[in-house]
Amino acid sequence: MPNWPSGQATANILKLSIAKKFGLDAEVRELGTISAFVGLDKGEVDIQPEVWRPNFEDLIKKYVTDKGAVVLSERAVPAWQGLCATPEAAAAGLKTIADLSDPAKTAVLDTDGDGRGEVWIGAPTWLSTGIERVRANSYGYAANLTLVEAEEDVAMAAVDAAVATARPMVFYCYAPHHVFELHKLTRIEEPPHDPAKWKIAPADDPLWVTKSSAATAWDTAHFHIAYGAAFGKKHPDIAKFLEQVDFSPEEVTAMSYALEVERQTPPDYAKKWIDGNAARVDGWAKQ
Amino acid sequence: MTMIRDRLEAGVKRGGRMRKIGLIVLAAGLCLGPLAALAATQIYDARTKKWVDYDKRKARQYFARNKQVPEAFRRQVVPFRTAEPPGTIIIDGNQHFLYLVQPGGQAIRYGIGVGREGFGWAGIVRVGRTAEWPTWTPPPEMVARDPNAAKWAAGMPGGPDNPLGARALYLFEGENDTIYRIHGTVEPWTIGLDVSSGCIRMNNDDIIDLHSRVKIGAKVIVLMQGAALYKGV
Repeated sequence: MPNWPSGQATANILKLSIAKKFGLDAEVRELGTISAFVGLDKGEVDIQPEVWRPNFEDLIKKYVTDKGAVVLSERAVPAWQGLCATPEAAAAGLKTIADLSDPAKTAVLDTDGDGRGEVWIGAPTWLSTGIERVRANSYGYAANLTLVEAEEDVAMAAVDAAVATARPMVFYCYAPHHVFELHKLTRIEEPPHDPAKWKIAPADDPLWVTKSSAATAWDTAHFHIAYGAAFGKKHPDIAKFLEQVDFSPEEVTAMSYALEVERQTPPDYAKKWIDGNAARVDGWAKQ
Repeated sequence: MTMIRDRLEAGVKRGGRMRKIGLIVLAAGLCLGPLAALAATQIYDARTKKWVDYDKRKARQYFARNKQVPEAFRRQVVPFRTAEPPGTIIIDGNQHFLYLVQPGGQAIRYGIGVGREGFGWAGIVRVGRTAEWPTWTPPPEMVARDPNAAKWAAGMPGGPDNPLGARALYLFEGENDTIYRIHGTVEPWTIGLDVSSGCIRMNNDDIIDLHSRVKIGAKVIVLMQGAALYKGV
Protein backbone atom coordinates (compact mmCIF):
# COMPACT_ATOMS: atom_id res chain seq x y z
CA MET A 1 0.00 0.00 0.00
CA PRO A 2 1.14 3.63 -0.45
CA ASN A 3 2.49 5.82 2.34
CA TRP A 4 -0.31 8.39 2.14
CA PRO A 5 -3.44 8.22 4.28
CA SER A 6 -6.17 7.49 1.75
CA GLY A 7 -4.06 4.73 0.18
CA GLN A 8 -3.56 3.18 3.58
CA ALA A 9 -7.24 3.44 4.47
CA THR A 10 -8.23 1.91 1.14
CA ALA A 11 -5.73 -0.91 1.50
CA ASN A 12 -7.13 -1.82 4.89
CA ILE A 13 -10.72 -1.60 3.65
CA LEU A 14 -9.84 -3.97 0.80
CA LYS A 15 -8.05 -6.33 3.19
CA LEU A 16 -10.99 -6.57 5.57
CA SER A 17 -13.55 -6.74 2.77
CA ILE A 18 -11.70 -9.57 1.03
CA ALA A 19 -11.39 -11.46 4.31
CA LYS A 20 -15.10 -10.95 5.00
CA LYS A 21 -16.46 -11.76 1.57
CA PHE A 22 -13.93 -14.25 0.20
CA GLY A 23 -12.32 -15.72 3.30
CA LEU A 24 -8.85 -14.82 2.09
CA ASP A 25 -6.26 -13.30 4.42
CA ALA A 26 -4.14 -10.48 3.06
CA GLU A 27 -1.02 -8.89 4.46
CA VAL A 28 -0.90 -5.10 4.23
CA ARG A 29 2.57 -3.75 3.56
CA GLU A 30 3.78 -0.23 2.77
CA LEU A 31 5.40 0.03 -0.66
CA GLY A 32 6.07 2.84 -3.09
CA THR A 33 4.27 2.59 -6.39
CA ILE A 34 7.39 1.65 -8.34
CA SER A 35 8.23 -1.16 -5.92
CA ALA A 36 4.60 -2.24 -5.94
CA PHE A 37 4.60 -2.58 -9.73
CA VAL A 38 7.76 -4.68 -9.59
CA GLY A 39 6.09 -6.82 -6.92
CA LEU A 40 2.89 -7.11 -8.96
CA ASP A 41 4.96 -8.23 -11.93
CA LYS A 42 6.75 -10.89 -9.90
CA GLY A 43 3.63 -12.09 -8.16
CA GLU A 44 4.92 -10.91 -4.79
CA VAL A 45 2.27 -8.21 -4.53
CA ASP A 46 -1.37 -8.80 -5.46
CA ILE A 47 -3.04 -5.38 -5.14
CA GLN A 48 -1.94 -1.74 -5.06
CA PRO A 49 -4.89 0.47 -4.10
CA GLU A 50 -4.01 3.90 -5.54
CA VAL A 51 -2.13 4.20 -8.80
CA TRP A 52 -2.14 7.78 -10.02
CA ARG A 53 -2.44 8.83 -13.62
CA PRO A 54 -0.82 10.50 -15.40
CA ASN A 55 1.92 10.38 -12.77
CA PHE A 56 2.83 6.77 -13.38
CA GLU A 57 2.10 6.55 -17.08
CA ASP A 58 5.55 5.12 -17.72
CA LEU A 59 4.97 2.25 -15.28
CA ILE A 60 1.50 1.64 -16.66
CA LYS A 61 2.83 1.44 -20.19
CA LYS A 62 5.54 -1.01 -19.18
CA TYR A 63 3.60 -3.33 -16.87
CA VAL A 64 -0.02 -2.93 -17.97
CA THR A 65 0.09 -2.19 -21.69
CA ASP A 66 3.28 -3.86 -22.83
CA LYS A 67 3.80 -6.79 -20.44
CA GLY A 68 0.20 -7.38 -19.46
CA ALA A 69 1.41 -8.30 -15.98
CA VAL A 70 -0.72 -5.74 -14.14
CA VAL A 71 -4.38 -4.81 -14.54
CA LEU A 72 -5.80 -1.37 -13.73
CA SER A 73 -9.40 -1.39 -12.57
CA GLU A 74 -11.72 0.38 -14.95
CA ARG A 75 -13.11 2.72 -12.33
CA ALA A 76 -11.03 5.66 -11.20
CA VAL A 77 -11.27 8.42 -8.63
CA PRO A 78 -10.85 11.86 -10.19
CA ALA A 79 -8.33 14.22 -8.64
CA TRP A 80 -7.76 17.95 -8.93
CA GLN A 81 -5.05 20.51 -8.41
CA GLY A 82 -4.81 24.24 -8.76
CA LEU A 83 -4.95 27.28 -6.51
CA CYS A 84 -7.19 27.90 -3.50
CA ALA A 85 -8.29 31.00 -1.63
CA THR A 86 -9.25 31.39 2.01
CA PRO A 87 -12.67 33.01 2.59
CA GLU A 88 -11.09 36.41 3.16
CA ALA A 89 -9.10 36.17 -0.06
CA ALA A 90 -12.24 35.28 -2.00
CA ALA A 91 -14.09 38.12 -0.31
CA ALA A 92 -11.30 40.46 -1.37
CA GLY A 93 -12.09 39.61 -4.99
CA LEU A 94 -9.48 36.92 -5.62
CA LYS A 95 -11.66 34.40 -7.42
CA THR A 96 -10.22 33.86 -10.87
CA ILE A 97 -6.72 33.38 -12.20
CA ALA A 98 -7.02 36.77 -13.90
CA ASP A 99 -7.56 38.37 -10.48
CA LEU A 100 -4.09 37.25 -9.48
CA SER A 101 -2.61 39.45 -12.18
CA ASP A 102 -4.27 42.54 -10.72
CA PRO A 103 -1.80 44.18 -8.30
CA ALA A 104 -4.59 46.17 -6.70
CA LYS A 105 -6.33 42.93 -5.71
CA THR A 106 -3.25 40.93 -4.74
CA ALA A 107 -1.96 43.70 -2.48
CA VAL A 108 -4.03 42.15 0.32
CA LEU A 109 -1.76 39.10 0.12
CA ASP A 110 1.32 41.14 1.07
CA THR A 111 2.68 39.91 4.37
CA ASP A 112 6.16 41.31 4.47
CA GLY A 113 5.47 44.92 3.60
CA ASP A 114 7.24 44.94 0.25
CA GLY A 115 4.07 45.82 -1.64
CA ARG A 116 3.84 42.45 -3.38
CA GLY A 117 1.56 39.67 -2.31
CA GLU A 118 2.85 36.17 -1.65
CA VAL A 119 1.49 32.83 -2.78
CA TRP A 120 2.66 29.38 -1.75
CA ILE A 121 3.27 27.25 -4.84
CA GLY A 122 4.38 23.98 -3.24
CA ALA A 123 7.29 22.26 -1.55
CA PRO A 124 10.78 22.79 -2.95
CA THR A 125 11.19 19.14 -3.97
CA TRP A 126 7.87 18.70 -5.74
CA LEU A 127 7.94 18.66 -9.50
CA SER A 128 4.50 20.24 -9.47
CA THR A 129 6.08 23.29 -7.80
CA GLY A 130 8.09 23.95 -10.93
CA ILE A 131 4.95 23.66 -13.00
CA GLU A 132 3.20 26.13 -10.71
CA ARG A 133 6.09 28.51 -11.35
CA VAL A 134 5.62 27.94 -15.08
CA ARG A 135 1.91 28.64 -14.74
CA ALA A 136 2.58 31.83 -12.76
CA ASN A 137 4.90 33.01 -15.52
CA SER A 138 2.53 32.00 -18.29
CA TYR A 139 -0.55 33.54 -16.72
CA GLY A 140 1.47 36.60 -15.78
CA TYR A 141 0.84 36.79 -12.04
CA ALA A 142 4.49 36.11 -11.25
CA ALA A 143 4.99 39.78 -12.08
CA ASN A 144 3.09 40.98 -9.03
CA LEU A 145 3.20 38.04 -6.62
CA THR A 146 6.15 36.52 -4.80
CA LEU A 147 6.09 32.77 -5.33
CA VAL A 148 6.91 31.09 -2.03
CA GLU A 149 8.18 27.52 -1.69
CA ALA A 150 7.97 25.80 1.68
CA GLU A 151 7.29 22.33 3.06
CA GLU A 152 3.65 21.31 2.99
CA ASP A 153 3.35 21.13 6.78
CA VAL A 154 4.57 24.71 7.03
CA ALA A 155 2.18 25.88 4.32
CA MET A 156 -0.80 24.06 5.81
CA ALA A 157 -0.03 25.54 9.23
CA ALA A 158 0.09 28.94 7.53
CA VAL A 159 -3.36 28.26 6.08
CA ASP A 160 -4.59 27.26 9.55
CA ALA A 161 -3.18 30.45 11.06
CA ALA A 162 -4.53 32.62 8.24
CA VAL A 163 -8.03 31.19 8.65
CA ALA A 164 -7.83 31.49 12.45
CA THR A 165 -7.14 35.21 12.14
CA ALA A 166 -9.38 35.91 9.14
CA ARG A 167 -6.51 36.86 6.88
CA PRO A 168 -6.48 36.40 3.09
CA MET A 169 -4.25 33.73 1.60
CA VAL A 170 -3.96 32.11 -1.82
CA PHE A 171 -2.01 28.88 -2.18
CA TYR A 172 -1.45 25.80 -4.28
CA CYS A 173 -3.78 22.97 -3.32
CA TYR A 174 -4.91 19.58 -4.52
CA ALA A 175 -7.85 17.29 -3.92
CA PRO A 176 -8.68 14.89 -2.44
CA HIS A 177 -7.04 16.53 0.59
CA HIS A 178 -8.12 16.95 4.19
CA VAL A 179 -7.59 20.72 4.04
CA PHE A 180 -10.97 20.93 2.33
CA GLU A 181 -12.52 19.36 5.42
CA LEU A 182 -10.66 21.69 7.76
CA HIS A 183 -11.41 24.97 6.03
CA LYS A 184 -13.93 26.56 3.73
CA LEU A 185 -11.81 27.17 0.67
CA THR A 186 -12.60 28.52 -2.76
CA ARG A 187 -10.91 27.10 -5.83
CA ILE A 188 -9.50 29.81 -8.07
CA GLU A 189 -11.26 29.60 -11.44
CA GLU A 190 -9.12 28.94 -14.50
CA PRO A 191 -9.64 28.27 -18.19
CA PRO A 192 -10.12 24.52 -18.73
CA HIS A 193 -7.08 22.40 -19.45
CA ASP A 194 -5.87 22.71 -23.02
CA PRO A 195 -3.08 20.31 -24.00
CA ALA A 196 -2.10 22.69 -26.78
CA LYS A 197 -1.28 25.32 -24.16
CA TRP A 198 0.77 22.99 -21.96
CA LYS A 199 4.33 22.87 -23.17
CA ILE A 200 6.34 21.39 -20.32
CA ALA A 201 9.99 20.84 -21.15
CA PRO A 202 11.68 17.69 -19.78
CA ALA A 203 12.33 18.15 -16.07
CA ASP A 204 15.91 16.92 -16.40
CA ASP A 205 16.72 20.09 -18.32
CA PRO A 206 18.06 22.61 -15.77
CA LEU A 207 16.21 25.36 -17.63
CA TRP A 208 12.96 23.44 -18.00
CA VAL A 209 10.92 26.00 -16.06
CA THR A 210 11.91 28.89 -18.30
CA LYS A 211 11.51 26.76 -21.41
CA SER A 212 7.97 25.71 -20.47
CA SER A 213 4.60 27.38 -20.70
CA ALA A 214 1.22 26.41 -19.25
CA ALA A 215 -1.60 28.92 -19.31
CA THR A 216 -4.61 26.74 -18.52
CA ALA A 217 -5.82 24.62 -15.63
CA TRP A 218 -4.14 21.35 -14.82
CA ASP A 219 -5.51 18.30 -16.57
CA THR A 220 -7.71 16.07 -14.43
CA ALA A 221 -5.82 13.31 -12.70
CA HIS A 222 -7.22 9.90 -11.72
CA PHE A 223 -6.20 7.04 -9.55
CA HIS A 224 -7.07 3.38 -9.95
CA ILE A 225 -6.76 0.11 -8.08
CA ALA A 226 -4.13 -2.11 -9.69
CA TYR A 227 -3.83 -5.87 -9.30
CA GLY A 228 -1.64 -8.59 -10.70
CA ALA A 229 -2.93 -10.21 -13.89
CA ALA A 230 -1.99 -13.64 -12.54
CA PHE A 231 -3.79 -12.89 -9.29
CA GLY A 232 -6.87 -11.89 -11.29
CA LYS A 233 -6.83 -15.19 -13.16
CA LYS A 234 -6.42 -17.17 -9.96
CA HIS A 235 -9.11 -15.20 -8.13
CA PRO A 236 -11.53 -13.89 -10.76
CA ASP A 237 -14.15 -13.26 -8.08
CA ILE A 238 -11.80 -10.90 -6.23
CA ALA A 239 -10.74 -9.25 -9.48
CA LYS A 240 -14.40 -8.58 -10.24
CA PHE A 241 -14.82 -7.26 -6.72
CA LEU A 242 -11.89 -4.86 -7.20
CA GLU A 243 -13.46 -3.64 -10.44
CA GLN A 244 -16.60 -2.68 -8.51
CA VAL A 245 -14.93 -0.57 -5.84
CA ASP A 246 -16.20 2.95 -6.42
CA PHE A 247 -14.87 5.41 -3.86
CA SER A 248 -15.80 9.04 -4.48
CA PRO A 249 -13.39 11.96 -4.08
CA GLU A 250 -15.38 12.99 -1.01
CA GLU A 251 -14.87 9.57 0.54
CA VAL A 252 -11.16 9.73 -0.17
CA THR A 253 -10.99 13.17 1.44
CA ALA A 254 -12.82 11.76 4.45
CA MET A 255 -10.27 8.95 4.70
CA SER A 256 -7.44 11.46 4.62
CA TYR A 257 -9.17 13.59 7.25
CA ALA A 258 -9.83 10.63 9.53
CA LEU A 259 -6.22 9.50 9.46
CA GLU A 260 -4.46 12.87 9.29
CA VAL A 261 -6.65 15.03 11.50
CA GLU A 262 -8.50 12.60 13.72
CA ARG A 263 -5.44 10.34 14.04
CA GLN A 264 -7.42 7.15 13.48
CA THR A 265 -5.28 4.16 12.60
CA PRO A 266 -5.87 2.69 9.14
CA PRO A 267 -7.09 -0.69 10.50
CA ASP A 268 -9.48 0.95 12.96
CA TYR A 269 -10.80 3.29 10.30
CA ALA A 270 -11.25 0.41 7.86
CA LYS A 271 -13.17 -1.67 10.40
CA LYS A 272 -15.52 1.22 11.17
CA TRP A 273 -15.96 2.01 7.50
CA ILE A 274 -16.90 -1.57 6.66
CA ASP A 275 -19.26 -1.82 9.62
CA GLY A 276 -20.99 1.31 8.40
CA ASN A 277 -21.01 0.34 4.74
CA ALA A 278 -21.85 -3.36 4.81
CA ALA A 279 -24.37 -3.11 1.97
CA ARG A 280 -21.87 -1.27 -0.18
CA VAL A 281 -19.25 -3.99 0.33
CA ASP A 282 -21.89 -6.65 -0.37
CA GLY A 283 -22.65 -4.86 -3.64
CA TRP A 284 -19.02 -4.84 -4.68
CA ALA A 285 -18.74 -8.55 -3.95
CA LYS A 286 -21.94 -9.45 -5.82
CA GLN A 287 -20.87 -11.64 -8.75
CA MET B 1 3.93 15.64 -16.77
CA THR B 2 4.30 14.96 -13.11
CA MET B 3 1.48 15.50 -10.74
CA ILE B 4 0.29 14.92 -7.28
CA ARG B 5 1.29 11.57 -5.97
CA ASP B 6 4.83 11.26 -7.22
CA ARG B 7 5.91 13.89 -4.73
CA LEU B 8 4.42 11.84 -1.93
CA GLU B 9 6.39 8.86 -3.14
CA ALA B 10 9.51 10.84 -2.48
CA GLY B 11 8.56 10.92 1.16
CA VAL B 12 8.48 14.65 1.36
CA LYS B 13 4.92 15.10 2.52
CA ARG B 14 5.59 14.72 6.20
CA GLY B 15 8.42 15.88 8.34
CA GLY B 16 9.53 18.87 6.36
CA ARG B 17 12.85 20.25 7.36
CA MET B 18 14.22 23.64 8.05
CA ARG B 19 15.67 24.97 4.86
CA LYS B 20 18.35 27.46 5.69
CA ILE B 21 20.87 25.95 8.03
CA GLY B 22 23.38 28.57 6.93
CA LEU B 23 21.14 31.26 8.28
CA ILE B 24 20.94 29.51 11.59
CA VAL B 25 24.68 29.36 11.97
CA LEU B 26 24.99 32.95 10.89
CA ALA B 27 22.46 34.05 13.42
CA ALA B 28 23.83 31.93 16.25
CA GLY B 29 23.72 33.77 19.49
CA LEU B 30 22.00 36.79 18.07
CA CYS B 31 18.76 36.15 19.89
CA LEU B 32 19.36 39.00 22.24
CA GLY B 33 20.60 41.62 19.87
CA PRO B 34 20.18 45.31 20.62
CA LEU B 35 16.63 46.53 20.84
CA ALA B 36 15.68 48.57 17.79
CA ALA B 37 12.00 48.06 17.26
CA LEU B 38 10.45 48.73 13.88
CA ALA B 39 6.78 49.51 13.48
CA ALA B 40 5.52 46.40 11.71
CA THR B 41 2.63 45.52 13.98
CA GLN B 42 -0.91 46.72 14.06
CA ILE B 43 -3.52 46.12 16.71
CA TYR B 44 -7.27 46.47 16.50
CA ASP B 45 -8.70 49.29 18.54
CA ALA B 46 -12.18 48.13 19.52
CA ARG B 47 -13.12 51.65 20.64
CA THR B 48 -12.40 53.34 17.32
CA LYS B 49 -12.86 50.15 15.28
CA LYS B 50 -9.62 50.83 13.47
CA TRP B 51 -6.31 49.08 13.04
CA VAL B 52 -3.57 51.18 14.58
CA ASP B 53 0.19 50.92 14.40
CA TYR B 54 1.75 49.35 17.43
CA ASP B 55 5.34 50.47 17.69
CA LYS B 56 7.96 50.63 20.39
CA ARG B 57 6.77 53.98 21.74
CA LYS B 58 3.12 52.97 21.85
CA ALA B 59 4.02 49.64 23.38
CA ARG B 60 5.90 51.36 26.20
CA GLN B 61 3.01 53.78 26.77
CA TYR B 62 0.42 51.03 26.74
CA PHE B 63 2.39 48.85 29.12
CA ALA B 64 3.10 51.74 31.49
CA ARG B 65 -0.62 52.51 31.59
CA ASN B 66 -2.04 49.03 31.83
CA LYS B 67 0.80 46.93 33.27
CA GLN B 68 0.08 44.40 30.59
CA VAL B 69 0.20 44.00 26.83
CA PRO B 70 -2.84 44.64 24.58
CA GLU B 71 -5.50 41.97 24.69
CA ALA B 72 -4.48 40.39 21.38
CA PHE B 73 -1.11 39.43 22.86
CA ARG B 74 -2.44 38.02 26.11
CA ARG B 75 -2.66 34.26 26.62
CA GLN B 76 -6.03 32.96 25.42
CA VAL B 77 -7.72 29.91 23.97
CA VAL B 78 -8.78 30.46 20.36
CA PRO B 79 -10.46 28.32 17.68
CA PHE B 80 -7.73 26.78 15.58
CA ARG B 81 -8.49 24.03 13.09
CA THR B 82 -5.42 22.13 12.00
CA ALA B 83 -4.22 18.67 11.08
CA GLU B 84 -1.29 19.07 13.45
CA PRO B 85 -1.56 17.00 16.61
CA PRO B 86 -2.18 18.55 20.03
CA GLY B 87 1.09 19.65 21.55
CA THR B 88 2.45 21.09 18.32
CA ILE B 89 3.76 24.65 18.48
CA ILE B 90 3.10 26.92 15.49
CA ILE B 91 4.99 30.21 15.45
CA ASP B 92 3.50 33.02 13.40
CA GLY B 93 6.12 35.73 13.58
CA ASN B 94 4.24 38.08 11.28
CA GLN B 95 1.30 38.30 13.62
CA HIS B 96 3.37 37.87 16.79
CA PHE B 97 1.44 34.81 17.88
CA LEU B 98 2.60 31.43 19.12
CA TYR B 99 -0.04 28.69 19.02
CA LEU B 100 0.05 25.56 21.14
CA VAL B 101 -2.37 23.16 19.44
CA GLN B 102 -5.04 21.70 21.74
CA PRO B 103 -7.61 18.97 21.14
CA GLY B 104 -10.99 19.86 19.71
CA GLY B 105 -10.01 22.45 17.12
CA GLN B 106 -8.50 24.88 19.60
CA ALA B 107 -5.14 26.33 20.48
CA ILE B 108 -3.66 28.33 23.30
CA ARG B 109 -2.42 31.54 21.70
CA TYR B 110 0.40 33.52 23.26
CA GLY B 111 1.79 36.90 22.24
CA ILE B 112 5.43 36.91 21.23
CA GLY B 113 8.22 39.29 20.34
CA VAL B 114 10.27 38.27 17.33
CA GLY B 115 13.36 39.27 15.44
CA ARG B 116 13.51 42.48 13.50
CA GLU B 117 13.26 40.44 10.33
CA GLY B 118 11.10 37.68 11.67
CA PHE B 119 12.62 34.43 12.85
CA GLY B 120 15.07 34.47 9.96
CA TRP B 121 14.04 31.03 8.78
CA ALA B 122 11.04 28.78 8.40
CA GLY B 123 10.56 25.09 8.79
CA ILE B 124 10.01 22.31 11.25
CA VAL B 125 12.10 21.65 14.34
CA ARG B 126 11.40 20.18 17.74
CA VAL B 127 11.84 21.03 21.38
CA GLY B 128 15.15 19.36 22.18
CA ARG B 129 15.42 20.40 25.80
CA THR B 130 14.07 22.96 28.22
CA ALA B 131 15.49 24.87 31.14
CA GLU B 132 14.16 26.72 34.16
CA TRP B 133 15.81 30.08 34.82
CA PRO B 134 18.33 29.41 32.05
CA THR B 135 21.87 30.66 31.92
CA TRP B 136 22.54 33.27 29.26
CA THR B 137 25.89 33.35 27.48
CA PRO B 138 26.32 36.39 25.25
CA PRO B 139 27.72 35.73 21.81
CA PRO B 140 31.35 36.75 21.20
CA GLU B 141 30.43 39.71 19.01
CA MET B 142 28.23 41.09 21.76
CA VAL B 143 30.98 40.54 24.31
CA ALA B 144 33.36 42.43 22.06
CA ARG B 145 31.18 45.52 21.71
CA ASP B 146 29.23 45.65 24.94
CA PRO B 147 31.01 45.95 28.31
CA ASN B 148 27.88 44.83 30.13
CA ALA B 149 27.77 41.68 28.07
CA ALA B 150 31.51 41.19 28.51
CA LYS B 151 30.88 40.85 32.22
CA TRP B 152 28.92 37.70 31.49
CA ALA B 153 31.21 36.23 28.87
CA ALA B 154 31.37 33.01 30.85
CA GLY B 155 27.60 32.90 31.31
CA MET B 156 25.06 34.87 33.31
CA PRO B 157 23.32 32.75 35.93
CA GLY B 158 19.57 32.40 35.63
CA GLY B 159 17.42 34.80 37.59
CA PRO B 160 15.00 37.70 37.39
CA ASP B 161 17.48 39.94 35.55
CA ASN B 162 18.61 37.31 33.07
CA PRO B 163 17.50 38.29 29.54
CA LEU B 164 16.35 34.73 28.83
CA GLY B 165 13.72 35.11 31.50
CA ALA B 166 12.11 32.36 33.50
CA ARG B 167 12.22 29.45 31.07
CA ALA B 168 13.73 28.52 27.74
CA LEU B 169 12.78 25.93 25.13
CA TYR B 170 15.76 24.92 22.99
CA LEU B 171 14.89 24.18 19.36
CA PHE B 172 16.65 21.24 17.77
CA GLU B 173 16.86 19.91 14.26
CA GLY B 174 17.39 16.21 14.64
CA GLU B 175 19.92 15.94 17.46
CA ASN B 176 21.46 19.33 16.75
CA ASP B 177 20.74 22.50 18.69
CA THR B 178 19.74 25.20 16.22
CA ILE B 179 20.80 27.83 18.78
CA TYR B 180 17.31 29.31 18.50
CA ARG B 181 15.20 29.43 21.61
CA ILE B 182 11.74 30.33 22.77
CA HIS B 183 12.41 32.12 26.02
CA GLY B 184 11.06 34.54 28.58
CA THR B 185 11.96 38.18 28.81
CA VAL B 186 12.56 40.85 31.39
CA GLU B 187 11.00 43.35 28.98
CA PRO B 188 7.38 42.21 28.70
CA TRP B 189 6.37 45.39 26.90
CA THR B 190 8.28 44.14 23.85
CA ILE B 191 5.69 41.43 23.20
CA GLY B 192 4.03 42.18 19.87
CA LEU B 193 7.11 43.88 18.47
CA ASP B 194 10.00 43.01 16.20
CA VAL B 195 12.83 43.57 18.58
CA SER B 196 15.65 41.07 18.50
CA SER B 197 17.47 39.25 15.73
CA GLY B 198 15.98 35.84 15.82
CA CYS B 199 14.66 34.21 18.99
CA ILE B 200 11.09 34.15 20.18
CA ARG B 201 10.43 35.95 23.43
CA MET B 202 7.39 35.66 25.65
CA ASN B 203 6.52 37.31 28.90
CA ASN B 204 7.61 35.25 31.89
CA ASP B 205 4.14 34.13 32.95
CA ASP B 206 3.49 32.84 29.44
CA ILE B 207 6.78 31.01 29.01
CA ILE B 208 6.26 29.38 32.41
CA ASP B 209 2.79 28.30 31.27
CA LEU B 210 4.05 27.06 27.90
CA HIS B 211 6.98 25.26 29.51
CA SER B 212 4.60 23.43 31.84
CA ARG B 213 2.57 22.17 28.89
CA VAL B 214 5.24 21.29 26.32
CA LYS B 215 6.83 17.88 26.03
CA ILE B 216 10.40 17.27 24.95
CA GLY B 217 10.25 16.29 21.28
CA ALA B 218 7.23 18.50 20.54
CA LYS B 219 6.99 19.54 16.90
CA VAL B 220 7.58 23.24 16.26
CA ILE B 221 6.52 24.77 12.95
CA VAL B 222 7.90 28.19 12.14
CA LEU B 223 5.90 29.92 9.43
CA MET B 224 7.94 31.46 6.68
CA GLN B 225 8.36 35.21 6.66
CA GLY B 226 6.20 36.20 3.75
CA ALA B 227 4.50 32.83 3.67
CA ALA B 228 2.23 33.38 6.60
CA LEU B 229 0.46 35.73 4.23
CA TYR B 230 -0.76 38.37 6.56
CA LYS B 231 0.62 41.45 8.14
CA GLY B 232 0.48 42.86 11.60
CA VAL B 233 -2.07 41.73 14.15
